[in-house]
Parts: sequence; structure tokens; C-alpha cells
Amino acid sequence: MAADSPSTVRDGFGTVSRTAGVVFRYALLAATLLGILAVGILFVYVANDAIQPFTADPGWHLTFFLTLVVPTLAVGYSLSGRGEGSLRVGLESLGLLAVMPLFAGGVAVLFLSILPALVVFSFAVALAIPLAAIVALQRTRQVGFVAKLVAAAVVTVASLLFVPNFIQNVPVIPVEWLLVALTIGAPTAAIAGAYAAASWNDRRVGRIAALAALGGVLVGGLVGSLTGVGGIAATVLATVAGVPVGLYVATVVDQHPTRREGLLLPLVVLGGMLLGAFLVRTVGFAGPASWLDWAFVTSDNSFSAESAGIYPALAGSIMLMLIVSLASFPIGIGAAVYLEEYAGNSRLTRLIEVNIANLAGVPSVVYGLLGLGLLARMLEDGLPVFPAVVADPLGLEPIRVGGDLFGIGTVFVGGLTLSLLILPIVIISSQEAIRSVPPSQRQASYGMGATRWQTVKNVVLPKAFPGILTGTILALGRAIGETAPLLVIGAPNEFGIPQELSSRVGAMPLQIYAWATTSGTEEFYTKVIPAGVVVLLVAMLAMNSVAIVLRNRYRQRN
Amino acid sequence: MGADNLTDTLTRQTENSPRELLVRTFFFVCAFVSILTTAGIVFVLVSEAATFFTGTAQFLGVTGETVSLVDFLTGTTFSIAGDQFGVLPLLSGTLAIVIGSAVIALPLGVATAIYLSEYASPRVRAYLKPALEILAGVPTVIYGFFAIEYITPLLKQYLFPDIGFFNALSASIVVGIMIIPMVSSISEDAMSAVPDELRQAGYGMGATKFDVSTGIVVPAAISGIVSSFILAISRAIGETMAVAIAAGATPRLWTTGSVDAGPVSLPYPDPAYFLESIQPMTGAMVQLLFSDITGGGLAYRSLFGIGITLFAITLFMNIVSNWIASRYQEAYD
Repeated sequence: MAADSPSTVRDGFGTVSRTAGVVFRYALLAATLLGILAVGILFVYVANDAIQPFTADPGWHLTFFLTLVVPTLAVGYSLSGRGEGSLRVGLESLGLLAVMPLFAGGVAVLFLSILPALVVFSFAVALAIPLAAIVALQRTRQVGFVAKLVAAAVVTVASLLFVPNFIQNVPVIPVEWLLVALTIGAPTAAIAGAYAAASWNDRRVGRIAALAALGGVLVGGLVGSLTGVGGIAATVLATVAGVPVGLYVATVVDQHPTRREGLLLPLVVLGGMLLGAFLVRTVGFAGPASWLDWAFVTSDNSFSAESAGIYPALAGSIMLMLIVSLASFPIGIGAAVYLEEYAGNSRLTRLIEVNIANLAGVPSVVYGLLGLGLLARMLEDGLPVFPAVVADPLGLEPIRVGGDLFGIGTVFVGGLTLSLLILPIVIISSQEAIRSVPPSQRQASYGMGATRWQTVKNVVLPKAFPGILTGTILALGRAIGETAPLLVIGAPNEFGIPQELSSRVGAMPLQIYAWATTSGTEEFYTKVIPAGVVVLLVAMLAMNSVAIVLRNRYRQRN
Repeated sequence: MGADNLTDTLTRQTENSPRELLVRTFFFVCAFVSILTTAGIVFVLVSEAATFFTGTAQFLGVTGETVSLVDFLTGTTFSIAGDQFGVLPLLSGTLAIVIGSAVIALPLGVATAIYLSEYASPRVRAYLKPALEILAGVPTVIYGFFAIEYITPLLKQYLFPDIGFFNALSASIVVGIMIIPMVSSISEDAMSAVPDELRQAGYGMGATKFDVSTGIVVPAAISGIVSSFILAISRAIGETMAVAIAAGATPRLWTTGSVDAGPVSLPYPDPAYFLESIQPMTGAMVQLLFSDITGGGLAYRSLFGIGITLFAITLFMNIVSNWIASRYQEAYD
């Protein structure tokens, strides 16, 4: 050892080369970018096939280059010179304008094709009554908790049993868009008001904001119903896209006066698009022969490539997302709260933790087998509330409920299967969000005499909310792209718009698979599937971008 | 503690009040759903697979055809129409996908992890990490379409003129791309957990950044890197849609070539296997779905036979990965 150390030292000094380090560094960068670039190029290929931009007139490209690209770049450049975050405001408002109408479209599909406005409204009222009753009960101090619980349960059950029927049979029905405005516009306005009140630290501002939001929704619906847009679509657009954008603009204008210039960017983009479209129409330049157009998104599927559309699959995906979020979010967040706030270091807790980690690694096709074997076939006749094992010896009829919900390939089974699939992801990400709430805040709450549930409700969940939301949206983004479990539970290649929970399940990735395997014509491969892929990717990226923006904002604040 | 009677008397016991108990029970039930899910998976797989294998089916009184466990595990033919259910050709196909995707994902994933943890500035990292997440987030059915529509023609044009329309190579490439983030994120976590003192010690000895990255950080994080490899491979085994679309539907054993080494000729697995249509386990499961699955026939039950094999393999790998991560983890305090 000692003998060879001098020579090692002599060799080690003076022979350090920069080249190896530099080469290594750039090789690593290249390796990092390789996968991203490969997928980026594939995206470009598929978008090119779907939109076919080179079929347009050169004049069309030139017009939009001059009216849209040049002014946008100029404004963007001058904003980036100003600093003070005005470019960020510009990009954020542009992003809001691009993404929120997509979500509005999704909600509009829900109201237009899947759930009739009157039904949704009647159930919303039926849920609002017990909610109001619970709030009222919480204020009274004379009755005990158990009595309150019983009262709340009675009111909930009674309301759900009688109110929807009653409302649906009222002879005088107001116009549908007004129902939609009441169902989603009123709660949105209330949330906007609460946000404004907190953001401005002024209740009066909150009240004004809520009224303005409700007024905007109503005006939007009225204008939409009078013009050709359609009342429901306009109401949803005003609620889902208009209210957040308005709130954002108001916040920027009033609270960050130095960043106001950033709002110029979306104006320039919108103006450029309108001006470009006007010029192109008057001069007569032909646009691209895009396969991805309004007709593709809104028309039914078909065996011929020309008339094939993705609308039923889109509606199916939206329906699935609704079921998945209703089923997996409460359970996933509840499990995370239990593991982080309630569970001690017992053997059962560790078993649950290990079990969740392993469930996250189970292939999705195996979840499909669970859905097929258990939900679709064993429970085909419904959930055994009063099973035959008990009923037969007593000489009674066994009772099973929900026979039409279960079975091969129903929306209900598909939604539950996907819920179970993303449950581990929801639990793990919610746990991380809850864990990041500083223990000192819990201690402060306990120190004030709060119970555990009060601490969870008033301190932990509000603080962890943005993190939980990020994780759940990412999980939903995973669910929207899943194909294998839906295929395994027996989803057929042909499906319509799901009107009920017992309808055949359909989804965009299923539709793409069906096109890729059963309709082998060249047109499907080079045009229809790329268009479908772009729609699915846009839906997924819109959801992921919301989650990523939320996460970045949340991290900055902490 | 017991001396403080006054405090005890004045304290309202809230832990066991009806409200707290109700809430606590609700949260516990939520957490218990995950146990029920596992139990459900195991129950369904075991009970349905039991009706597929001859040895167990006779106890369950299953009438109709069954397959013996030995035939299933050693059979070299898989044919749905011919009622032959040997799993070896499918395992061979899965192995090809695993090897192909690992060749792509493991080096790229580790290189990405080193770059992100040692070289990238926080700003660059803030852009690269979401971009990498997108690789794992793209729906796999889209990857399958990419493989068949864009990658195979490219390979045919520039590298392998006689590549088949369905082939294992393009499927392996897309599976490899989609598991890169799995390798890179877990490896990067392990590398970030290596304490700075170790790096500083290296620099103090006159090491370059290259030396520190490859000589100190990677060895110190090796347990995390290996566990990320195993998880990524387990993901590649379970990957379904991309291989179902792009790898083909020809279950066949790995072809062998042979080299003459003097007196004996040594067989070797033929790389040309990658250029033709194959069928991995998950691909076969999807194909089985298009035979009659509603009646519970042999095809339906074989689905669970393959499913339990797949579940056992991936579960085993996940457990090994966890075990390596915790057993060989360097503890820094």
C-alpha cells in the first residue's frame, strides 16, 4: 500500500483534463433530452397528420404570420424587457384563455348530452337542502351530536327521495340554461366571492365579486340563447371560463398595477386571430384541410373515415372522469388523512402502507381482471345486500341491488375499476401534501383546544388543499388515458353516448384502439387516428398543465 | 401524571366523542379500501385461475376443459384457436420487450438522473422535470400508435429494410421511452439524498465533477438506482396497450442461431427475433378478450391463468425492489 502511494499521487496531479468532464456533461444533457425530443418529434408528426398545415395557401400562412405571430412576438419581447413579472402575467392569462374554454367544453358536453339540466338541477337542490340543514344544525347548541346526526341523515334521505321527483314534475319549467346557471353558476359565484373577499381582505369586495360573477353568467346565458351559440353552452362557458378569467384580470389590474401591461399579450393574440380570420376570408385564402375540426369533435363515430367523429368517446371519457373523481377522491383523501393524522405506528398501519406501495405497481391490466372477475361477472346480478347464503335457510328471497349497474362493460364498472386503479396514486400524493403541513400549525390548533377532527378540518386540509388538488388532477390525467382495464372489463368496440350508469362504457383511448385494430384502412391510420390522438393529448395536457401550474404556485408560496 | 387530577377533571375528553369516533371510522374505512382491493385482486385471480388448471379445477367441480399446470408452464405453443396454452412463447415475447426497453431506458434514465441531480441548475430542472413526467403520462395506446405508424416505417427506411409491420423492436423503443421517467425520478431521489459532505470530501481530494458524479454519487446511490431499474422493468412487463398494438400477435419462442466454436456449435438468442411479430403476455391477454369472455369458457379462464402469472412476477419484482432500497440503503445521519 505504502509503496505505491507516491506514484499514485504523482500520476494524479497535473493530468486532470477538462475534456472528459465537458464531454460527460454534454453527453448527460443529450441523454436527458433524447427521450423528450423523441416524443416531441412524434407529437409534431401526429399534429401534422391531424391538422395538415401545409395544405393551406401560402397567403394564409403569411396573413396569420403578420397579424398574429409578429405582433405577439413583439409584445412578448417588450414585456420581457419590462421585468416585474408582466410577461408572466401575459403568459398566465393566455394559458387561462386557452385551457378554461376546454374545460368549459367538457362541462357543456355533460349538460348537453349526458345529464339533462333539469335532473342535475333537481339533485343539486336535493343536496343543497340537507347541506343548509346541517349548517343550521351546527349553529344550535341545545341538541347533542347524535341527535344532530340522525336529523341530518333523515333530512338527507328525505330530500333525495322526494325533492328530485317533485322538481322534475313541476309543470312550469324555466328555460334550461337558467337551471344550469343556478346549478353551477351560483356556487361558482359564491366561490369567486369568497376568493375575492379573502384576496382583497374585504367582505364588501367579495359580495360585489359574487354578484358580478352571477350577473356575468346570467348575461352570458341570455346572450347565448338569443344568438346561435345556445343558452346552455354560453352559460357553462361564462361560468367555467369567464368567471376565473374575470377574477384573474381584476386581481392583476387592482393588486399588481405594475404588471398590467401583461394583459396586452392575450389581447394581441385574440385581436390577431380575429383580424387574420377576417382578412383570410375577404381575400379568399384557403385554410389547411385539417382533419381535426369542429365536425370531428362533435359528430358520431362511423365506419367511413370521412364521417368518423370522436364525440361519443369524448362524452364517455367525461362521464368516466365524473365517476372516477366522485369515487376515488373522497376515499383516497380520507385514506391519506387516516394514515397521516390518525394512524399510530401499528402493524396494521404498516401493512396498509406497504400494501398501497405495492398496489401502485400492479399492472393496469390486472385491475381490469379485478373489474371483469368481480364487478362484471360475480356481481352481475347486483350487490348481495341480503345474500342467498343467509336467505335460503330462512326460506326468504335473497335481495340484490344494482343489478343493471354491474355487468360486462358498463360505465359504472369501468368507472369503479379506474377509481381503484388510481386510488394508490391519489393516496400517496395526498399523503405527501398532508405531510408538508408544518407540525407547528397542528400543535397551535391543539393548543387552542381543538379536537383532532377540528384540526384536520380547519388546519390540515385547507393548508394541504393545493397539493392534494395537484396530485388528484395528475391521477385523473392518468385515468383518462387508460385503455387496458376498460378493454378487459369487456368494453366493446362500439358504444354510444353514455346516458346512464348502466350504458356501455366508451372512452377516447378505447376509440383510438378500436380504430387502430378494426378499421384497417389507410385513411384511418393517416388522418382519423392522428386527429383522435391530438384530442386525447390536448385533454390530458390541459389537465396536467393545470396541475403543474398549481404545484409551482404552491411551492413558491411555501 | 395521575397526580394532576384537576386537569383531568377539567379536560373534556374528545377523542372518543361520537363525532370524533364517526370521523375516525370513516377515515379508517377509506384506508381499508386499499386492503380490500388487494384482497379482491388476489381472490379473483386465484379463484378464477383455479378453474383453469386441471389440478385445482377438479376440486372445484369444474366441468369442461382445463389445462395442467405443467403444460401451462412448460408448453412451447400458445394457440387460442387450438386450445394450447403454453406460456413459454409469451414469456419469451415479454423478455424481448423487457430487454429492448431496458437497453434504452436504463442508461438514459441514469444519465438523466445524474444530470438533474448534479449538473442542472434549479431553473433548468424546473423545466426538465415536468417535461419528463409527460413521457410517462402519454397514454400508452398513443405510444402503440406512434410505434406502428411512425417508428416502424422509420426503422424500415433507414436501418432494417426487412422489418415486419408488427415487430418487437418498435414496441420496445416506445416502452423504453415511457419508462425513462420511472428510472430517472427514483434514481434522482436517491442521488439527491447523498449528503453534500461526501461530494465536498471528493472535491477536497482534488476530484473533478466527473469523478465525484461517477465515483461518489452513483456508488452511494446504487441501491436506489437498482431498485428503480427493477421497478421500471416490472412496469415494462405489465405494459399492455403499446405492445398489444405494435408487437403483433404471433406467440413464438426466441429463435436461436448458432456459432461454430471448434468442435461444438454454441447456440445464441437470435437478435432477428426483434424484427418480427411476437406476442408478450399482456398482448395475449388483450387478444383473448376478443374471443368469447362472457360465457366463462377456457379462453376466459386462461386470461386469469396468464393474469396470475403476470401479477406474481410484477409483485415479486416490486417486493425485491423495495427490499433492495431499504436493505442496502446507506444511512446518513
